[in-house]
Order: sequence, then structure tokens, then C-alpha cells
Amino acid sequence: MESLKVTALEFKSYKIPKGKMVKVRVNVDKNSIRDITILGDFFLHPEDTLPQIEQGLVGTTADEDCITDVIQSVLDTQNAVLIGASARDLAKAIMSAHETR
Amino acid sequence: MEKIRFLDLSVQNAHNNMAIDEAIMRSLKEEKVPPTLRLYRWDPSAVSIGTFQGMKEEVDLEYCGKNDIDYIRRITGGGAVYHDFNGEITYSIILPQRHRLAPDDILESYGVLCSGVVKGLEHLGIDAQFKPINDIVAGGKKISGNAQTRRHSCVLQHGTTLLDLDVEVMFSILRVPQEKISDKMIADVKERVTSIRDLLGRQVGMDELREALVAGFSEALNLELVPGELTDVEMNLAASLVYEKYGTDEWNLSR
Repeated sequence: MESLKVTALEFKSYKIPKGKMVKVRVNVDKNSIRDITILGDFFLHPEDTLPQIEQGLVGTTADEDCITDVIQSVLDTQNAVLIGASARDLAKAIMSAHETR
Repeated sequence: MEKIRFLDLSVQNAHNNMAIDEAIMRSLKEEKVPPTLRLYRWDPSAVSIGTFQGMKEEVDLEYCGKNDIDYIRRITGGGAVYHDFNGEITYSIILPQRHRLAPDDILESYGVLCSGVVKGLEHLGIDAQFKPINDIVAGGKKISGNAQTRRHSCVLQHGTTLLDLDVEVMFSILRVPQEKISDKMIADVKERVTSIRDLLGRQVGMDELREALVAGFSEALNLELVPGELTDVEMNLAASLVYEKYGTDEWNLSR
């Protein structure tokens, strides 16, 4: 039986140019996001959209475009307003955390 | 002139302060209380973090424990704020979502509500401006940070106005790697953040700031501030919010 390979927890801060600070805890296995927490001083209305984004990202390929699409689709579905960051900014922050292992 | 309930400057601990803001919002939703402006201080001094921030990433909890500094997660986004008992006054304003002072456009509504602080600073002789997204600056430096949430059919905005600032203490509480707290960095923050006493070069009193904020909010927002008290409904709700939410690690350390 193949044992599950879990990568070490990755954590990184990402300062959005002229924007807010995003910090990401992400766990990626076989190039797919297993677990993620997005932290930061941005604004997101309604606030409970963020856990939905995090849940939506589980299983997503660790790729900036794929991640951006998932985040944008949750924002659109929830009619949510993200201030101080964009879906693309969050995706860059996630990829930056993933790539700095 | 339109009236708003005014809860004058009170002193509470962090749990009570955040629970009271939420209790007012929930009670306003039920139409049990009127729109409200509240002024408060934090005793003991406390650090509040934005709702999406990680407590352990932002705050040195060991330092807080040793120095009797409370820590709490807000329901609003934004960044970590150090609320020094002697160094700032916090306001909160709670309005129904359809109120004239709460336009749908969130950035626009920050500008509208922050004008109360801007006008208050003007009363002290300070020329300040709203700086989107959520700051107020004077002489190019930040003097007030603000944060807003929209839920329960209401808009709640709270914010701090700095009377005094101790950069060294702030850095001890906020988690910055020790090696990064160089003289350069402290100088940098002094370049970016200021306070009323810094700007005016005199020991402006807490009550003088309080009076300025009262006048500022009243004039800028065209409101008659009617002195009031928290209702029993709000106090009971706040007590249960402390017990179930703001006083718990489950909430404060949830991220």
C-alpha cells in the first residue's frame, strides 16, 4: 500500500503591489492543493466567502491560472466584493507560498 | 437635523468592546435600537487583528501575556491595530444598510464615514485627508485606520485615531522578527505613521480628542448626537457574545 505523501506546510507572505498583505498556509500534494488557509489584511464582503474560497481550492491544480479561475468563480457566485486584492493577487500569493518550499 | 444615538467615551476590555459593537449591530437589525455612534477606549491596552489574519502570525502572544495586553479578532477585515489605553480613541458607527451615510459602494462609504474623523482632526488644527482604502493621513502619514463590515442588514465601521504612538511597544506586540527591528525600520514606521501629539507638539488630552471627534462626526455627517445608554437587550447580548465568541480561543485563534 502506498503511503500518503504530505508535503511540509508552506507559509509565505506576499505583499500586493500598492495593496494589502496576504499570507498563505498551503499544503500541496501531487501538484494539487490539499489544504489551504488564506490570511491577510484585505477586505472581503461578505466575509464568509473566504472559507468558501478555501474549500473551493481543495483539489485545484497548483497553477496560477487555475487558482485564479476558482477564486473568481466563488466571488462571482457569492456576489462578493474583494477590496485591496484581486483573485489574481491571491493566486500569486498562493503560488509564491507553494514555490518557496 | 437627523438624530443618532451617541454612546459617550467608555472604557472596556477587548472582549466587551468587540461584543458591544456586534450587539448594537444585531439589535439594530431587530429595530430594537436606533443607529448609533460610540466612542471607547481599551483597558487593558489590546491588539485587535483583522478577521482574516492569523493571530499567531501577527501577534506575540507571549509578550501580551507578560505585559497584560489583551488580544482579539475583530469581525471586520483589515490589519492588526494596537489600542494603547493612553494612546488612542476608537469609534464605531452602526447604521442600517439603506442609510444615506452608507452608500452601496464600499470605498465611497469609507470616505463618507471617515469624514467624521477628518473633521474632528480639523477641529484640533490638523489638516487630514481620507486615503483609500481605509486610512486617514495627515502630512502624508497615517493617523487613523478604519474597518467596515456589512452584515445583519447593517453597516458597522470602527476605527482608531492615534493620540500618541510608541513604535517600540508596537513592534514588541506585533510579530516582526527581532532581527528586522532595526533602527532603520523603526525610523521607517515613524515616517509612515503619526499621532496627534506628534503633529501638534503638545500634550493634547484624551478629552480634547473626544470633544473633537464628537464635533467632527456631528458636523461632517450632519447628525445630532443624542446621548444614550446601551439597552438591557444589548448588554445581555454582549455578555453572551463574550461568553460564546469574543472570549474564546475558538474565535480569537481560529486562523
